[in-house]
Amino acid sequence: MLKNALIAAGVTTALLSAGPALAAEKKTIAVSIPAADHGWTAGVVYHANAAAKEINKAFPGIEVIVKTSPSASAQVSAIEDLSATRKLDALVILPHTSEELTTPVKAIKDKGSFITVVDRGLNDPKIQDLYVAGDNIAVGYNTAKFLVEKMGGKGNLVVLRGIPTVIDDERIKGFQDGIAGTQLKILDIQYANWNSDEAFKLMQDYLAKYPQIDAVWANDDDMLLGVLEAIKQSGRKEIKFALGGNGMKEIIEKVKAGDAVTPVETPYPPSMIKTAIYLTAAHFAGHAPVRGSLKLDAPLITKENADEYYFPDSPF
Amino acid sequence: MTAAPLTRAPAETAAAPVLRAEHLAKEFSGVRVLSDVSLDLRAGEIHAVIGENGAGKSTLMRLLSGYLKPSEGTLFLDGAPVAFHAPKEAQAAGIALVHQEILLADALTVTENIFIGREIARFGRLDERAMRAAAAAQLAEIGCKVSPTALVRDISLANRQLVQIAKALLGTQRVVIFDEPTAVLTHDEVDPLLDIIAELRARGVAILYISHRLDEVERLADRVTVLRDGRMVGTYDAKGLTPQRMASLMVGREFASLYPARQDPARLAGADAAPALEIENAHVPGFVRDVSLSLREGEILGLAGMIGAGRTELFEGLLGLRPATFGAVRLHGEPVHFHSPAQAAARGVGYLTEDRKGKGLLLDEKLAPNLTLAALDRVHPAGGLDLAGEARLLDRAVAGYDIRLRSREAKAGQLSGGNQQKLLLAKVMLNEPTVLIIDEPTRGIDIANKSQIYAFIQSLVREGRSCIVISSEMQELIGLCDRILVMRAGRINGELAGAAMTESNVALCATSSAANEQSLGGP
Amino acid sequence: MADLAAAPPRASHGWSIGWGDAGPFLALAALVLIGFLINPDFLSANNIANVVTRSAFIAIIAIGATFVIASGGLDLSVGSMAAFITGVTILFMNWAAPSVGTAAIPLGMAVALVTGLACGLLNGTIVTLGRIEPFIATLGTMGIFRALITYMTDGGTVAIDRSLREAYRPVYFGDVLGVPIPILVSLAVALIAAYVLYRTRYGRRCVAVGANEDVARYSGISVARVRTLAFVIQGACVAIAAICYVPRLGAATPTTGVLWELQVITAVVIGGTALRGGRGRVWGTVAGAVILEFIANLMVLSDFVSEYLVAAVQGVIIIIAMLIQRMSKR
Repeated sequence: MLKNALIAAGVTTALLSAGPALAAEKKTIAVSIPAADHGWTAGVVYHANAAAKEINKAFPGIEVIVKTSPSASAQVSAIEDLSATRKLDALVILPHTSEELTTPVKAIKDKGSFITVVDRGLNDPKIQDLYVAGDNIAVGYNTAKFLVEKMGGKGNLVVLRGIPTVIDDERIKGFQDGIAGTQLKILDIQYANWNSDEAFKLMQDYLAKYPQIDAVWANDDDMLLGVLEAIKQSGRKEIKFALGGNGMKEIIEKVKAGDAVTPVETPYPPSMIKTAIYLTAAHFAGHAPVRGSLKLDAPLITKENADEYYFPDSPF
Repeated sequence: MTAAPLTRAPAETAAAPVLRAEHLAKEFSGVRVLSDVSLDLRAGEIHAVIGENGAGKSTLMRLLSGYLKPSEGTLFLDGAPVAFHAPKEAQAAGIALVHQEILLADALTVTENIFIGREIARFGRLDERAMRAAAAAQLAEIGCKVSPTALVRDISLANRQLVQIAKALLGTQRVVIFDEPTAVLTHDEVDPLLDIIAELRARGVAILYISHRLDEVERLADRVTVLRDGRMVGTYDAKGLTPQRMASLMVGREFASLYPARQDPARLAGADAAPALEIENAHVPGFVRDVSLSLREGEILGLAGMIGAGRTELFEGLLGLRPATFGAVRLHGEPVHFHSPAQAAARGVGYLTEDRKGKGLLLDEKLAPNLTLAALDRVHPAGGLDLAGEARLLDRAVAGYDIRLRSREAKAGQLSGGNQQKLLLAKVMLNEPTVLIIDEPTRGIDIANKSQIYAFIQSLVREGRSCIVISSEMQELIGLCDRILVMRAGRINGELAGAAMTESNVALCATSSAANEQSLGGP
Repeated sequence: MADLAAAPPRASHGWSIGWGDAGPFLALAALVLIGFLINPDFLSANNIANVVTRSAFIAIIAIGATFVIASGGLDLSVGSMAAFITGVTILFMNWAAPSVGTAAIPLGMAVALVTGLACGLLNGTIVTLGRIEPFIATLGTMGIFRALITYMTDGGTVAIDRSLREAYRPVYFGDVLGVPIPILVSLAVALIAAYVLYRTRYGRRCVAVGANEDVARYSGISVARVRTLAFVIQGACVAIAAICYVPRLGAATPTTGVLWELQVITAVVIGGTALRGGRGRVWGTVAGAVILEFIANLMVLSDFVSEYLVAAVQGVIIIIAMLIQRMSKR
């Protein structure tokens, strides 16, 4: 935590001071990310574009190009095309899948590019120069700890999980670890595919099935929206907490407003792509060492620190 | 009338039967469709089975070839009783069935079709070469000239029928059952096939021949068994059994003539008979070149020609069903141009397709919706359906056209061919056309229904309507029409009327490029 | 031969429903019984109301699909079309709200309907005038509508203006005499659709075109017009579903309506409409949509099935429902 903060501080200083000096040799940073197909990726696209705009303006010596791809195979083609048409000094990539992208990224690395991997790791960690990711286990764990504390270690929970993937598994695992050894009991856990509609239906069914539900955790904010609507319709009052995760702005607004049922949020911020792009830019502009791994923490967002995670213009 | 029934063939005059059936009967869920039928098939003999639709021919054929098991009675093969549990067992015993419909896979080659399900393999690998050679030999034997490697979709209908026969004959066959093998063929494709069947007889094969075409039966058969309503009328020596006599035996009453009395030719002759429909310089790309014709009021005009001569396409073009250009079209003297059958119907032109099942009726629909499909605006002017009115129309059609049905809830596909044709006629007549074009009015229909349909056509023109009949059956055109136009290769190749309407003249015009009306003599 | 193997003649009665058409309702009844045995809460008024209300979107869209499929077509674009119409409607309402207040809601509904009709017309003309297989044509528009909603939302969410939220909410959550409004809407749509399909000339033509295009053509029916109109009806139904959908979550996202097309087609086929055309069953379709939603509900209410196997069990139940339907036809 302290180390992360130091790096961030260092980068910021470096960027601010070293800006206009390096106009001589223009460096190209390519950013390859998934196309916006749901809230979180939309946030990634928003923050990547914002970072590119800011850096291109602040550092004439650096050009950031953002390329979105709708699928893993399209992403492979996209980075191959990028590296074929120009010399890439750095590639910042949020891979669709680890398996398919590992070899193509290695080929670019072999040409001498600086590689920054975001969120999903490649199969061979030796390829990356810099790795920036959130902490999915902490998303689940910190939420669980909050509930344990506020509910005095006992109560009935229902959980909505997303699409069967590593991200989903890690969040659920973190959550289960967090409540281990307490009287909090998971009544039910089902997939709702990170989709508001499905979460709405699933929550209706949970409400029909269980007469007493003390808290709900949807491991993503899209699903939380459906959950809240279903609770509102049912008129049930016993549910003390309905929590999500990811840092969607609608939910952050609730936290800021001091909502009783959703008082906290755990971030898995799409803005991590921006962090990664800035750090990569620092490698060229700042003469500061940035090689290594940066794991963004998932601290509880509360009314006090919510502003830090609130991006009113972002679609997410 | 000379022919006396021979229920048992005199043993001394013929070879021992290969296959004999005694007292066969078949019931389907309690309904008897065949009772007490006994017959025998001898080597080197063609035994024809005739009867109206529903008389039990197909059931009998399926009992003999192992597709069905008899409810009563016994089959004897070479004198020993046998029971087939599947077509495969009958095949193994040397009994082959040539189906009426063409059951071949279009996308496969001739060889692949012949060997489908019984491929020759060596060590698990298909022996293409052996199969091709065997297929070629089999095809040569029946005089079929298609290449064994040709795709079935690329060969003619007649050749497909031959391939189907070759397939049935593969292996040693002692009994071959033909189920209306000429039903899908045109007039001049029939002869070679009949020759092949006669050739099989000469080689000692026992043949069961089922057909509606009584002239073929007369020409080919040695003995004839007549079925009526699932029972045997008798087995007759074919010598001296005329088609007319056969028809009488099938129907159970005497037939004076199939065709209704002709109308007075004087009424149609002369200039006072105004034209009902005139077509000038019709072109249908790929089918019809520069055809002009004129149909007089109250006339039945026949259109003869071979398949592919462009007859059907000419009228599909007229109705806007396919691209066509016309110098002029006049209906009762007024210029018209149709973009769709609906426009034609609105002006009083009706067309009965030759393809009753494919283009005429919705086989899975009930009768009333079929009846009114072409006249929905007329029957239901409000937009919402008048079901009671529709039911009355169906009653009227059933009575007026003598449509035999077992239930008002029946689907069109459950009617016999003849009744389907009557329903189709009733459907087109709902629009009350003044000019009616009937394409192949009696294809695949039994004699009693044929005769009724001829009578309907005759009564329609007596009411003052005019009618064009397209047919591949020359007899039908000659018996029914006042005048016949013969098409060949997209053009009108001759016009025949009065005494000049003979089979040989029609055939000559349909095939010879030199034919012209002068040389054949006009009326 | 068939003529002789005759069943005894039946009296004809116009309004009767034969056993053949009862299949989906039998399947539904069986499912309700099983549901009750598994968990008595299943039959609680609240649960039944929730589930049937939820099935309304799929039911309404599937009623439109009954026309398309009965006429021999297929529309894969309904899911993304629903998302697209939802997006357009919300954006319009948000734009109009500051000037006209809650009048933006009825105006937005009209916009939704017009958009739906236009989308249906687009599908219809591509299929008929463009002579492109419905599968491919609507696969194309499916991508187009999906991309448009993603573009409109920047990949995120467009939410309805707060000032309209409460006023619009009853369209999904409200009820008349205890019957939720979406159920009333889908019943109304089904009644109208059943009348159109079974009691009008258009319905006859629609089924005829699907049963045999050639017969329809030779009977003087304009096949292109009938098919196009079926797609337009589909568009209208999608719009009605979208109008009911908007107040549920008050937002459109790029994942709205994903895979609805498959649910819709499944509902139509379970309901007894022939996928190859020529047979349409409006009430069967409604039953099919309810069956699908009941199955999903049962999966949650029962404790037998591991969360990992839910989809497999749903698949098995759908196949069994089809078999019940098939066997009741004999």
